[in-house]
Amino acid sequence: MATRDPSMICCFRLLFLLLFSVPLIASSSSWASMHHNNWAVLVCTSRYWFNYRHMANTLSLYRTVKRLGIPDERIILMLADDMACNMRNNYPAQVFNNENHQLNLYGDNVEVDYRGYEVTVENFMRVLTGRHDPAVPRSKRLLSDEGSHILLYMTGHGGDEFLKFQDSEELQSHDLADAVKQMKEKNRFKELLIMVDTCQAATLFNQLQSPGVLAIGSSMKGENSYSHHLDSDIGVSVVDRFTYYTLAFFEKLNMYSNASLSSLFNSYNPRTLMSTAYYRMDLYQRPLPEVPVTSFFGSVMKTIHTDAAYMGLSIPPKTEAQFLPGDGGNHQLRIENEPDLEKDGNKQTKELHCIYHEWLNLLQERFENTDAELLFRYGFGTMVFLLTISTWLLA
Amino acid sequence: MAVKEEGDTSQQGKKSRSRLILRLGALLVAHSGLVSVVCCAAGIIAFILLPVLANNTYISENALMPGSADPAFSSQEVLDANRLTMDILNRGAAKASGIEIAKLLREYIVAVGAESYYHKFVPRANKFHPLHFFSSTTDNLDLPANPSCGSFILNAVGIIRAPRGDGKETIVLVTPYNSQNTTYSDAVSLGIGFSIISLLSHVTWLAKDIVWLAADSRYGEYMTVDSWLKDYHGPAFPGETSRIVDDACFEENNSDSLDHIKVEGHNSYVYKRAGTMAAALVLKVVDKKEKEERDSLSIYAEASNGQMPNLDLINIAHYLAVHRQGLRVKIGSIIYFLKASWVKLLGEMLQHITTLAKLLNPKWKLDITSADYVEGTATLASSIYYQALGVPTGSHGAFRNYQVDAVTLEFSPRSSLNNENVRSAFLLKTGRLIEGVIRSVNNLLEKFHQSFFLYFLTAPHKYVSVGIYMIPFGILIAPLPIVAAALFSSNNGSSNKDGSWKWLQAAKVVFLIHLWAMITSLLPYVLLQLPLVTPSSFTSAWAAVAICFLLITYLILWSSSIDCGWELLKSVMIVAAAIGLSLMSVINFSTAQIGAMLIVPMCLLVKPARKQTQGVFAKALMLTSNLALLVVAFPPAALLIAKTLFGASGNIDIGDFWEWAQILWSWNSATYMYLLWIHLPCWVLCLNIFLYPCIGSSSKA
Repeated sequence: MATRDPSMICCFRLLFLLLFSVPLIASSSSWASMHHNNWAVLVCTSRYWFNYRHMANTLSLYRTVKRLGIPDERIILMLADDMACNMRNNYPAQVFNNENHQLNLYGDNVEVDYRGYEVTVENFMRVLTGRHDPAVPRSKRLLSDEGSHILLYMTGHGGDEFLKFQDSEELQSHDLADAVKQMKEKNRFKELLIMVDTCQAATLFNQLQSPGVLAIGSSMKGENSYSHHLDSDIGVSVVDRFTYYTLAFFEKLNMYSNASLSSLFNSYNPRTLMSTAYYRMDLYQRPLPEVPVTSFFGSVMKTIHTDAAYMGLSIPPKTEAQFLPGDGGNHQLRIENEPDLEKDGNKQTKELHCIYHEWLNLLQERFENTDAELLFRYGFGTMVFLLTISTWLLA
Repeated sequence: MAVKEEGDTSQQGKKSRSRLILRLGALLVAHSGLVSVVCCAAGIIAFILLPVLANNTYISENALMPGSADPAFSSQEVLDANRLTMDILNRGAAKASGIEIAKLLREYIVAVGAESYYHKFVPRANKFHPLHFFSSTTDNLDLPANPSCGSFILNAVGIIRAPRGDGKETIVLVTPYNSQNTTYSDAVSLGIGFSIISLLSHVTWLAKDIVWLAADSRYGEYMTVDSWLKDYHGPAFPGETSRIVDDACFEENNSDSLDHIKVEGHNSYVYKRAGTMAAALVLKVVDKKEKEERDSLSIYAEASNGQMPNLDLINIAHYLAVHRQGLRVKIGSIIYFLKASWVKLLGEMLQHITTLAKLLNPKWKLDITSADYVEGTATLASSIYYQALGVPTGSHGAFRNYQVDAVTLEFSPRSSLNNENVRSAFLLKTGRLIEGVIRSVNNLLEKFHQSFFLYFLTAPHKYVSVGIYMIPFGILIAPLPIVAAALFSSNNGSSNKDGSWKWLQAAKVVFLIHLWAMITSLLPYVLLQLPLVTPSSFTSAWAAVAICFLLITYLILWSSSIDCGWELLKSVMIVAAAIGLSLMSVINFSTAQIGAMLIVPMCLLVKPARKQTQGVFAKALMLTSNLALLVVAFPPAALLIAKTLFGASGNIDIGDFWEWAQILWSWNSATYMYLLWIHLPCWVLCLNIFLYPCIGSSSKA
């Protein structure tokens, strides 16, 4: 923590701005530009028994993002879903991504939103752009907003600038770029991570233009993505290399981990992958070493404290997860509480509050390098001190 | 004016553009002699080069995934196989009645928990049906009214329903055996079949039903399998009278089995079906006396009229045999080519040429060793021969009639099966191979369609696809239309006034000769009604009648004083031959290829013997080449030559021709039609031209 994180400074400046000058009506924009929810769209674009591994890939990732905190209601899962109950499956109603059969991916609570022949390019585009038939239930829609981080994971068979959907149609790179552009226009995301595990995955990102998009593919143009291993009991390959090593990376993490995206990207070894993982970062503003993987693969760890009911949404969040990009293994999430801002405060109270805030900020800056416990001790000490003074005054 | 001029120039431009192809055509026609020599030589050289151009096979269908699952066939199943083998040998020795083994098999199948029934039928002799080519569906109407009861054939059939499958598809396993004279290898093959069934009856991965047909091949395995398939695909109604008669007859005759039937009920004769057939494997064991290094597997795939199963089916069997079970895979090859020194010489030459070619461009994948070339040629020759013959090489051919991909897998152990260790190792390997093939086909989602249907094999893992082998054929027959056009135009140019319709006269002659050939091809149907006994008498009667008809045809021609020059006759004949060959190449390519190699040089070279040419030497050369080609291209002569070349040393009887023709028509081979409708008239016309009574260019006379 020797150097201050520029985004952090930015954030604080914003906070100051908010506190001092910006009227409350205008606060909606800043509230929106803040990352406050996570979505995941997981797509398996192939079907048929011999593509078992693609469904296993998708289900593994589904399990991972759920484990890292994205709730089912914010995951759109698109699967052909013809493996678990396939008559060729040695293990009926079970799907594995490893030949050791330790983990049944098709266990409890797998909520598939688009199943079988519903996995089409049209439905995929509708999910991304939010142009649904009115009859489509909310659970099948991507209800993200301008504060959302979206993870878009796709796996299947692809080629140069296209991705096959169930052997019948294909998604081309400019279709994807167009959908992402529309999403950006409609403020449907703040940041978008596209992760694709197909052959020549990198070519799928060629047409992307929208800012805030980070893309990672399993292979470069002209390369194939290979499966990781064969389950000789089930008789099919059960997982792809890229996904396998992605999962291996995430298995070590939990909800509170602070591993950065760059550490994920650096974990791909072209030799074990048998292809070169490709990242497209030119559209993405934040430096990767400072973005935690959980900002896409997990959920925001944020509690919004409200004084009264039904007020929460109109009030900007007061708590913020501070990310400590620690190389020294200091994987902690620090939660800073700030006092509530009264909605109808007059100028005096506002100023008072502001002073109070400034003081707190000072305090916070002072104790930037110390841990929360120290802060707590100081705070407690001050409170005791105040209590004694007040009782002494009263007396 | 300017506009008009422009129009003129554009018209001229169009004319000259449209003329280009015409001019090219005219150029080819003008140099027809050179073109035909070059094309014929190129076609034959390209044909000889086919083993060099062969590609390695690969598994084209993603869904198959052969060998991705570990086989579950274990020593337990080997014990099962051994148990049944011993039982069959013991009981078969005790009772030689035809149904003993079928009953035993059914007991075993039921014990394993699979469905089972008996399939019964009366064997029929194949008859000549002149209009039944291409449709092998012989109706059941020609069943004898009162069949003798002893001639029934009883097959045991077992069905395993896929536990979670939809019952819409089936994989068929056939093990032929001879119930009258059950050999040890027959018993072993039944044992393998049963052990596979006993294994598959408790696996969980089946998506297609498995049908095991233990086919009693007392009267030929093809017929048994074919009649079972006919019943499988044809609707049979329970009230059908013939069936009831069959049942009664059967039960009366086998009183000792009556109690058995009572126990099982009539249910055991109810024909049961599973879904459509995805693939079929015919499983055979050949016990060899001589020792070999490894157990081996021979694959037979040719069905009637040169139809082949999808290459993927052969590929998975080959892949699993070589890379999983370590078997040696063999496919048929003609021994003559393996030993012939000229093939070896050719191979060495090609080896040098290809190494030179590789020096020029390392990207050319043409290198072939001499030994590879010899082996490839022998295998290719056998592949072409069996396709050209149009006769299936085993009972898998019956499946092809229903568009089911099937192969015969013939296993032979490395030494005698009487050795306990050899047998159990052999059983383990074969069982695992068949399990692997079934599991691979089980993964299939559609009919076999990804890989080739039209191909020749030059080795178990090398193929020549239709895209390659059509080229030599195309080059070979390309000069035919050019030469025909050249002859026609030269003749037309010389006599402008009345010559324009003169070709109709020639067409009449060609048509009559073809008509004669057609009648000749139908003669056997009449001859079969005559009280003739020996094949040689059939042959002589056939030849005599055919020659009579030919003389009558010529009498008609002579009396109607049709005379067109030999050049026009040759031109029309060449056109007819070209059309015939092209049609035949679609029906059965191999026949067309072999036929073209004989017909095309003959058609191109033939000239009247009396025609005057400048040099004596040239005339002698022309005469001898004409004579040689005329002799070689005559079908019976060609058969004789082939027989002496390829080592059939037995004395030659004229009855052989009849038998040979009989084989062709009884298997509905299109080669029979080709020989008599295209090849024979062409030969007769060539002979006609050769003996044409002309002096110089007679057409003017």
